[in-house]
Amino acid sequence: MKYQKRSVALLDKFAENFDDFYQTAPCAFLSLTPDSEVFQANQTLGAWLGRAPGEMVGMRFHDLLSFGGRIAYETHLSPLLRMQGHVHEIALDFLAADGSKVPMFGNASEKRSTEGNHISTRFALFKAVDRRAYERGLLKARVEAKAALEKEHETSLLREQFIAVLGHDLRNPLASITAGLRLLAKNVESNDRNDKIIAEMRGSIRRGLSLIDDVLDFARGRLGGGIGIARQNASPEPALRQVIAEVRSFAREHKIIERLEIDRPVNCDPDRLAQLAANLLSNAVSHGATAKPVIIEASTTGEQFRLSVANSGEPIPEKLRDHLFSPFFRAAGRSSQNGLGLGLYIASEVAKAHGGTLEVVSDEIETRFTFTMPTALDTSELR
Amino acid sequence: MYNPSMANPSFHDIILRRNNVSVRGNGRRTMVFAHGFGCDQHMWELVARDFERDFTVVLFDYVGAGKSDLQSYDVQRYSALDGYAMDVLEIGHALNLEGAIFIGHSVSAMIGGLASVQAPDMFSDLVMVGPSPRYIDDIGYKGGFTEDQISELLDFLADNHLGWAAAMAPAIMANADRPELAEELENSFCATDPAIARKFAEVTFLSDNRGDLASIPARTLVLQCREDIIAPIEVGEFVAREIPESHYQLLQATGHCPNLSAPHEVSEAIRSFVG
Repeated sequence: MKYQKRSVALLDKFAENFDDFYQTAPCAFLSLTPDSEVFQANQTLGAWLGRAPGEMVGMRFHDLLSFGGRIAYETHLSPLLRMQGHVHEIALDFLAADGSKVPMFGNASEKRSTEGNHISTRFALFKAVDRRAYERGLLKARVEAKAALEKEHETSLLREQFIAVLGHDLRNPLASITAGLRLLAKNVESNDRNDKIIAEMRGSIRRGLSLIDDVLDFARGRLGGGIGIARQNASPEPALRQVIAEVRSFAREHKIIERLEIDRPVNCDPDRLAQLAANLLSNAVSHGATAKPVIIEASTTGEQFRLSVANSGEPIPEKLRDHLFSPFFRAAGRSSQNGLGLGLYIASEVAKAHGGTLEVVSDEIETRFTFTMPTALDTSELR
Repeated sequence: MYNPSMANPSFHDIILRRNNVSVRGNGRRTMVFAHGFGCDQHMWELVARDFERDFTVVLFDYVGAGKSDLQSYDVQRYSALDGYAMDVLEIGHALNLEGAIFIGHSVSAMIGGLASVQAPDMFSDLVMVGPSPRYIDDIGYKGGFTEDQISELLDFLADNHLGWAAAMAPAIMANADRPELAEELENSFCATDPAIARKFAEVTFLSDNRGDLASIPARTLVLQCREDIIAPIEVGEFVAREIPESHYQLLQATGHCPNLSAPHEVSEAIRSFVG
């Protein structure tokens, strides 16, 4: 009762005059015949377009629209109105009497008879100058961002292709050097000095080749090939022994101790495991202190194959550990020794490809990288 | 007429899915309805249903429009109307069409003309609704648009992605007075990828196919509206003059979409043309 009294009192005092409301509402009203001729428009629209409301009556709707708005109305809005009876949140550019554009947005609906005949089309419109400017800004930013991204993508693809080709082509000169060195080593007098030079040259070639392998694997991975492995049931021991011998031949200042206890075949790619071991060993001899030996251990226990490489020396700082396996990671200040920083990344990719893990533990006593993988391929998921 | 086992099933399936083709009715002759720039096959709904009893009626969306497979959109292919004509030809092949009737609205009128030049046996009759072989004025030719206006239009379409995105996703609304449309309201009739829509607008409004009209072999009906700002009367008359075997009819309907504003007038005109 109380509310009713209150609303009656308000009505008495403020009652809307609907004609006035229509004419001066804070939005524009417009009504069209089915043939798109204006038969009614309010003062607000007139004010926005610089026209008297009466002046607009009888005008073609097209003549109130910008050119773009006209085509949009004909090809999109008018069909939508016919098909679904309304359109909501549409953008339309109007044309003021002085020829300037007035951006608006709004809703429109068809008034239809009970038989479904089209009687008129009504519009409620809001001026949207700022909003449209904002939208244009957003759109421009999006177009620019997309173009920049595409350009960047193209450049990086080219760069990676270049790396792949360069890596591949570097193998040939290294192969010639290897062959030449083998010939020379046979004919050169064996003494401490000569043996040391030859060992160092072998080491450099080995390092060069493994850098190339890493770069090629990296480029292949980035170009969508991924690191491929060819699994077989075999012992990785011969391949590991070869890697150990090679590293030993150039890292003569390090003592390398191996403990290999592989008593069953492992479902793996032995060459890839050798690559992983070579990367870990190269790391260990370049970072480890020479006072204590580098230890490489490999064993099959139960269902697991485990390979670990340990060296002594400064522990890896805590904050660097998260990035160890990222491509192009290098310990600060030691870039010349660390090569491209792909070694550990490739090693972890090889581990992943085998369904295994590569982990690191590093403290004052030792730094140890441990790779573990199942000895047999897990076929349960395939079933 | 159409027997699925006769066609290469995979080609058939791929094309029909790609262009969201629907085949209805089972008349001896086939009518293919093609939408223009703007909306999709729903543009023809009210006219197509008048023919389902006597004809096999085919409706489809061009790649990039309606419920077509947007993944199949290829900027290269669709950078000229010939690419869209290829859609039509592939649909025709998939359905083994012969001596069919092609009914194209707006830019599709020309697309149908191009398709009939390529495959005269596929379409023996052509109905062009609001055709224009060139929208921009030229020496001795009035297309209705200036070059500046076309670039204003393209800018407007580019500008209004955000506004359009809202317009393109209409809400479902009860439509008691036209219950036949209720189901369709769940679709967004004009939903197109904005980038594709802009490219289609560019291809449409910058096209010039006046030179192709004289080689259109099909028997052609040109249906012209009054007060059509997109395809003015002079243009419709020009098209009818240039096509060798053509009939011209000026409709009472106004605007550019008589298939929606005056579907029965359009149906009657088509019926008396195809007999």
